[in-house]
Amino acid sequence: MSFAPQKVDWSRGVPLRAGDWFIGLYQPSPETVGFWDAVQHGELVLKYCPACDKCFHPKRIVCTDCGSADLAWRTASGRGHVYSYSEVHRAPSGDFAGSTPYTVGIVALEEGVHLFTRLIAEPEPIAIDAPVTVDFRVLELGQLLPVFVVGAA
Amino acid sequence: MATTTIGSATAIVGMGRALGQRDDPDGPKTPLQLGAIAARRAMAAAGITRAEVGALFTGRTPQSYMVLQYNQALLNELKIGPTFNTEVTAHGGGALGTLQLAALALHAGVIDYALCVTNEASGLWMDQVGSNAAWEGDLQFEAPYGPSTPSIYAQFACRYMHETGTTPEMCAHVSVENRHWALQHPYAAMRHKGPITIEDVLASRMIASPLRMLDCAVWYPGGIATAIVLTRADIARGGRHAEATWLAGFGQCSTHEWVGERMGSWGFAPLEDGPNLVRTGTALAAKQAYAMSGLSAHDMHIAQSSAPFSFANLMILEELGFCPFGEGGRFAADGGIAFDGGLPFNTMGGYLSFGQVAQGLYNLQEVVDQIHGRAEGRQVPGVEAGIVHGHGGPMACHSVVILTREPTR
Repeated sequence: MSFAPQKVDWSRGVPLRAGDWFIGLYQPSPETVGFWDAVQHGELVLKYCPACDKCFHPKRIVCTDCGSADLAWRTASGRGHVYSYSEVHRAPSGDFAGSTPYTVGIVALEEGVHLFTRLIAEPEPIAIDAPVTVDFRVLELGQLLPVFVVGAA
Repeated sequence: MATTTIGSATAIVGMGRALGQRDDPDGPKTPLQLGAIAARRAMAAAGITRAEVGALFTGRTPQSYMVLQYNQALLNELKIGPTFNTEVTAHGGGALGTLQLAALALHAGVIDYALCVTNEASGLWMDQVGSNAAWEGDLQFEAPYGPSTPSIYAQFACRYMHETGTTPEMCAHVSVENRHWALQHPYAAMRHKGPITIEDVLASRMIASPLRMLDCAVWYPGGIATAIVLTRADIARGGRHAEATWLAGFGQCSTHEWVGERMGSWGFAPLEDGPNLVRTGTALAAKQAYAMSGLSAHDMHIAQSSAPFSFANLMILEELGFCPFGEGGRFAADGGIAFDGGLPFNTMGGYLSFGQVAQGLYNLQEVVDQIHGRAEGRQVPGVEAGIVHGHGGPMACHSVVILTREPTR
């Protein structure tokens, strides 16, 4: 038996989208739907434990410290600083290829929560510890997302 | 530590391997094909029957052979009936984790022989650049921003270089030395590319700052399967088996799922001082492995890491104890891992120049070969002990195994 090697495309010809082949995971899940609803209204919210007076990543289901599942949504200031970043020159898929170079990074919010995000270098250049402010933009996949603009608001 | 009696309580008594290439005359093979071939070779090398296989442990399901119950596919092909059967799914770190589980089961006396199999052929069957980002980033909170796999690891690189003063030039030493070793290996992916210099690395095209092309792992253009048979010390010493390689120590530590979420983790080692991107679970895993074995980094004649980027290899060298925290770059720049005279590190060529198939035991296989003098063309003289690091991305899961020629306890 002999045959030519095949190039198997996992996404079966569908442009790379987060989770097209893991149906459900890329959609807002019950514990994160409040975050994405807020994004639609131009608002950045975080999970919040009233008992501990502490904010968490929007995915948190239970408080890391006290273990409570009674977490609420709290509006974030939208201000923070650059914790880490990378300028992407080789895009992961065709969807993003037209945008290179662009920068993805991690911001540390005033509330003590870190978010992975897109960093926009205007008006200031991107650097560790540079101040950032949240903005909301439609990115390459057509999704409205919180991004962070370098420079104090 | 309660684990000290398990050091050198078990040994590898058989190893089998199978390598698949795109131009194989009978066509490319699946991971299942390669795994089954390697498993039967390991059983033959150990001289055990199908009925004697007490446990089957695999790493996670091969990316290029996704079925819901991979172990059943494999044991069905091998026609074995293990009484302990499971996948070890600490991302890519689970491959080495199979040895840990085997040692625990053997030491407890519930089985006499464990068969560990890892296999992957993503280079034959997958678009790795297009699909791998889905394995390395949060599909809801990271992937929509367009991170490539290197740009996710670059978050660690950016902080590591910022906090330690490590330079791109220091990192480039890893690429150069890995390539030097790969040139000695008949099956290394980058063997045909010839040697590279620091200048070549620094001039290669930017992929995701600060990582350039030659800072990144290459995908192995084929498939690799490695299978090993382990047994207890009393059986290994009993004269039945031709060869024993002792599992002197092991450890494992997993810290997070995705890089963004990593920064929301604290309160446990190695993040007891708060979230960071410069420490991994390797130090804890290595500490346990060294304690079990009674050995230290100074006793290691050879070291292998599956870290997929140049800077990450420096972090791992630090956490395996070959140099202090933050000094990996200066260690490498000062000849610490030099092909000529340094620590024999990534003697297959590492993930950067041998290539990676997403998970596997081929780094472990290399140490077994080195210990028994079978590493043709790249044999390090007198290898009595070696350490292997297995990584599961993104810098999330870390397994460490120490192998020795003689039992250490």
